Parts: sequence; structure tokens; C-alpha cells
Amino acid sequence: MKEVTQKMREIAKELLEKNEVEYVVGWEKGTFWYQSPPCFVRRAEEVERLVWDEFCINNLAKYLLDFKHLEGKIALFVKGCDSRGIIRLLQDNQIRRDRVVLVGIPCKGMKDVTEAAKLEEEKPEKLPLAAKCQECRYPNPLVYDYLIGEEVVATAGQEDRFSDVAELEAMSPDERYEYWVGHYDRCIRCFACRNVCPACNCRECCFDLAEPRWLGKRVVRSENQFFAITRAMHVAGRCTECGECERVCPMNIPIMKLNKKIIKDINELFGPYDAGVDLEDKPPLGKYNPDDPDQFM
Amino acid sequence: MKTIKKAKIAELLDKIAAEQTIFAPVAVEGVTRFARWGQHKGDLYLEGNSLLPPKDLLFPQTEKMYSYHVKGMTAAVDEVATTAEPQIIFGIRPCDVKSLEMLDDVFLTKGYVDEFYKSRRDNTLLVALGCRKPEPTCFCTSWGIDPAQAPGADVNAFDLGEELGFEARTEAGQKFLDAYTQFFSEASSSAPKAEECTLKVDPEGITEKLQKMFEYSLWDELYHKCLGCGICTYVCPTCHCFDIQSENRGDQGFKFRCWDSCMFSEYTRMAGGHNPRPSKKERLRNRFLHKLQYFPERYNKFACVGCGRCLSKCPVNMDITRLIDRVKEVKLDE
Ligand code: SF4
Ligand code: SF4
Ligand code: SF4
Ligand code: SF4
Ligand code: SF4
Repeated sequence: MKEVTQKMREIAKELLEKNEVEYVVGWEKGTFWYQSPPCFVRRAEEVERLVWDEFCINNLAKYLLDFKHLEGKIALFVKGCDSRGIIRLLQDNQIRRDRVVLVGIPCKGMKDVTEAAKLEEEKPEKLPLAAKCQECRYPNPLVYDYLIGEEVVATAGQEDRFSDVAELEAMSPDERYEYWVGHYDRCIRCFACRNVCPACNCRECCFDLAEPRWLGKRVVRSENQFFAITRAMHVAGRCTECGECERVCPMNIPIMKLNKKIIKDINELFGPYDAGVDLEDKPPLGKYNPDDPDQFM
Repeated sequence: MKTIKKAKIAELLDKIAAEQTIFAPVAVEGVTRFARWGQHKGDLYLEGNSLLPPKDLLFPQTEKMYSYHVKGMTAAVDEVATTAEPQIIFGIRPCDVKSLEMLDDVFLTKGYVDEFYKSRRDNTLLVALGCRKPEPTCFCTSWGIDPAQAPGADVNAFDLGEELGFEARTEAGQKFLDAYTQFFSEASSSAPKAEECTLKVDPEGITEKLQKMFEYSLWDELYHKCLGCGICTYVCPTCHCFDIQSENRGDQGFKFRCWDSCMFSEYTRMAGGHNPRPSKKERLRNRFLHKLQYFPERYNKFACVGCGRCLSKCPVNMDITRLIDRVKEVKLDE
């Protein structure tokens, strides 16, 4: 990891010194040893802030939306999941490929921060992989200009990718209803799940509109349900499974289970599809095909 | 001091819940928060502070204010929210008790009394639980709070190891202890001391410094990583912003208020679409300035009690203690 960190700093320094980019977005050490939050480096003298370790869990892709109107270019470090987010944004014409410099880093998986906070000592090796990394199928960046480090082999248990969904599907409709209202009754509507999500990239989100106010501001069961279902359907076919929504949710709502159910349905209806993997392969719900099955109608 | 074995607390709570409304911290689905005892799911959680403060018991996230109907050219108010029922909050920590001073300032002073808040506040009995060992994210001692002592509570409980000890601080607190006297033993133990917080910050002079830093470049460096979500403000025991809206169906409807957050894009967005805080930069600056400058200017105290919830739950580790450190490092040319 030291070598990767070293290399990150070298590349960042060069890009900034040659004025090729205005910002380099990466990770730096946070308040505690188990935190490596995003950081924005503007000057070559500051590249020492950049680090690569087991806690660089934040997906940086979403930040590109904040720089849509930047004159110059921006450099971004990308893990496998970040790179899928980038491909999604490219597909939606949210960013131009020639405006970003991507530095790929193959990822061995990030560690579980909640567990880390419980440890009394600094022992990253004692920690399990973060939930979102346990099922990662694309740990290697899929789009990049530079690549640091060796490619890694995805080891996650692919077979049982939808085991959670099978549990859901085994429930009766009433049980399923109880399950989801039970979880979404906890939602405090902080919108962190939406704000961190690279598939949520509408210029104006329907949940923020005052007129018409689609989502009422009361935090009650009916509005929370509307929020949960609408968000799940808005990212259908575009969710890259980066797991950020579930990771940031302060209320521990199993958002990925909902996303996975929809991914599984889409795979069954339209054939296997992984969002953010192939730039040319448009999302099934984002393209027109006269042979579409019409099970929805 | 009156003591009770920790193993007996659930029984005590059951007994109280059979007669009164009592809220206690519980852990449900990985979230710790205050829940109504007797109707709660999950286990009693007394090991640390709860993820959500009990703020919503005094200032609910969604609160109906009044309902109305319209008939032809006339409109009438049908029903105004009634007064709150008495409630007990058990296990509230000293930082959160302290935060009620800030809410009291906002809702009860400076010429306007918020009847909704007042009614709940007047009907709430606080049974606080002092802390022995602050969590790594706690920094209440930096704000002059003693983690073991909750001066604003009716009863102060202490962790004595195998037992909890209780001391009344008010008359109402004494009455509460007397009512359940059969559960307690008398012991001569004295209140245990708490360890010092490991996370520290020195707020000395921060307000005066910030008064000169509204346009300072620090904000440009800080805001980029912020997601503009509401976590930091919704988990904060002192944040108190709300929005007032109505729900209408046909010729009737009701007004309600609900929490709002200065980190949201619609906060302060005006009818014509103009927003004086157009980006995350101005929003982040507002949150910190409100806590560290505007609130002290108006009420002579900071709007932070060092509970550490914001810095532990923020997905990008925006840390108010680091912010204060950085502000203090800044050299302003006079
Ligand atoms: S992050 Fe969790 S609590 Fe926040 S809005 Fe999303 S689902 Fe609700
Ligand atoms: S901030 Fe202080 S009072 Fe609050 S939980 Fe931590 S140690 Fe206890
Ligand atoms: S500071 Fe953190 S918790 Fe607060 S809005 Fe920004 S990202 Fe969300
Ligand atoms: S600002 Fe943060 S640490 Fe201070 S009271 Fe609010 S949540 Fe707690
Ligand atoms: S920090 Fe923001 S949300 Fe909190 S009380 Fe102040 S203005 Fe309101």
C-alpha cells in the first residue's frame, strides 16, 4: 500500500505541476485511524495528503457532478466500483471523458469501519471486509488513463450474489410488506443514500421539488414508502452495486437488498446486465427494443 | 444514594411503563435510539450514547400543528394540537441534557414561546445517566461538561459497575424515586468520576475569530467533500431548524412542521428560485457559523455539546473539532 500511496502522490504531483488538472480527488487520513475520507488537492505541495489504505471506501465518482462547469480538467482516483460510477456518468452525458484524468487502483477490498470503531487498538488486519466489498465482482478499474498496482482477482462468492433476494422472495406479500415498512419506518430522510449515489444524477431531484411537491415532507410511513420505492425505481438498471447508499445510511436500512431485487428482476426480464461496465451497452430501461417483454403492463 | 442491580432495570422500567409513559435507549436493527418502553422492540442500550439523541421527544421530526377546512369564502381552524402528555426520558446522557438548554433558548426565550415545545418540555421528567468512560468520539469535556453529571436533569443516575445509583436533583425527581422505592436499596456510594475525553478541542476565542472569517478561503477548501445530506444536523441534539408545510385534501387540510437542515439545497430557497446559499460551501459555512458564531452571539453559548455524533456518522468525516483547530491555526492579517 505504501508503494501505491507513493505512486498516487507522484502522479498527482506531475498532473498539478504541469497544470494538466485543476484538482486531484483522492483520499486522506481522517480523525481516526480507520477513516480515509475524500480529499481535494489543488497544489502540488499538498500531494502528501493523499493515501491509499484499507479505508479508502468512499466512491469518488459522484463528485464529478460538482465540477461539471469547471473550465479545466479534474483527476480522480478510481477503484473498481468508482470506475463503474464513472462509466454510468459518461453514459448519461453528465461528464466528458476528455475532461477527466482517471487513475485506476485495483482494490483488494475495504475494511468494515463500524467494526473498526469498536476495536480498542489499531489493527486493520483484524477487521472483516466491508459489506459492500464482500460481493464485489469488479475490483479492477474498468476505465482509466493510468493504472497503479497489480490487477487483483475477484474472490467474492459470486454464486450466492442474490441469496438475500431469495430470502425476500420466499416471503409472502404480507411478510414482505412488514419487512420493508419495518425498515423504512426508521428512515429519517437525510437523503445521504441519494446524495452519495452515482446513479442519482438528475439535475433536479424529484424529492427536492417544491412545486409540485411529489414527496411530502412529513416523515411518516406513507411518504417514506414513496421515497423508498421511487428511489429504487429511479436507479433501476443504473445501480452499479457500489453499496454506498447502504454504507452511508445512518439508520442501517438494507437498501442494497432492494436494489438487488430489482437487478435480479431486470436480469430475468431483459437478460444479464451489469450497470457501468460497458460504455456502449445502454441500461435496459434506458433503451428502446421492440421485442421487450411487456410484463409490466 | 439509591441503587439497583443492572439486571433489575428492565423490571423497573416495566413497572414504570405500566403506569406512565417512559422512553429509554434501545438497540433495534443496529440503531440505538430512544423508544417507548413497553411498546419497544430491541434491547435496553446503556453501554454508550444513542445514535439519535432524544431530541424528537421534545421536538418531533414531524408535528401536526392544526387542521382547518374551507367552505366557500370562509375558512375555519378545526383543531389545534393539544397539550402533551407527561413523559419520562430515562438514560439521557449529560451532553444531551445540556443540549436542552440550547433548545430552551431557541423555543422559549427572546420574546416568543413555542407552545408545542413548551408543553412537551414542561411535561418531561429527565432521568439522566452519567458516563464513566467517554467514547473516542466524545468531546463534551471541551465544552465544560462533566460526563458524569447532568445538572439539568431531575434525577442523575451513575454507573457503579454491577449497579446503577440514583440521586434526585429536583423535587419531581425525588417524587419519582420515592414512587418506586421498593426497587432500590440504600447505599453510601458516592458519585463516580468520569474519565476525561480523549478527543479535545479548545474553543477559546473561536467566535471572535470566525466573525472575521466569513469570506475566508478555508471554506473553499473544506466544502468539496461534503455530500449535502442531513445526517450531521439530524443526529445533532442542538440543531433545531424546521419547516412549516401543509397537506391539503379537497376542502380540508392541516399544517405541520418538520425538521429541516441547512445542509439541504431547498433550505432558504425562495419562492422565486433565488437561494442566498447556492452551494455546499455556503451551507457548510452556515452550519459551523451557526454553532460557533451566531448562536453564541445571540445566546451566549455554543450550539454544540460535544456528543460527537456528527463526526462519527458523517460519511465523509467532516469533523467539527478539526474545523475548530484549523480556524485557530489561521493567521489573519489585521
Ligand atoms: S440514508 Fe437511510 S435514513 Fe437517510 S434517507 Fe436514505 S434510507 Fe433514509
Ligand atoms: S459526550 Fe460526554 S456526556 Fe455525552 S455520551 Fe460522551 S462522555 Fe457522555
Ligand atoms: S458534513 Fe457530512 S453529514 Fe453533514 S451534510 Fe456534509 S456529508 Fe452529510
Ligand atoms: S455539533 Fe456535533 S458534536 Fe456538537 S452537539 Fe451537534 S452533533 Fe454533537
Ligand atoms: S446548524 Fe443548520 S440545521 Fe442546525 S440549527 Fe443551525 S441552521 Fe439549523
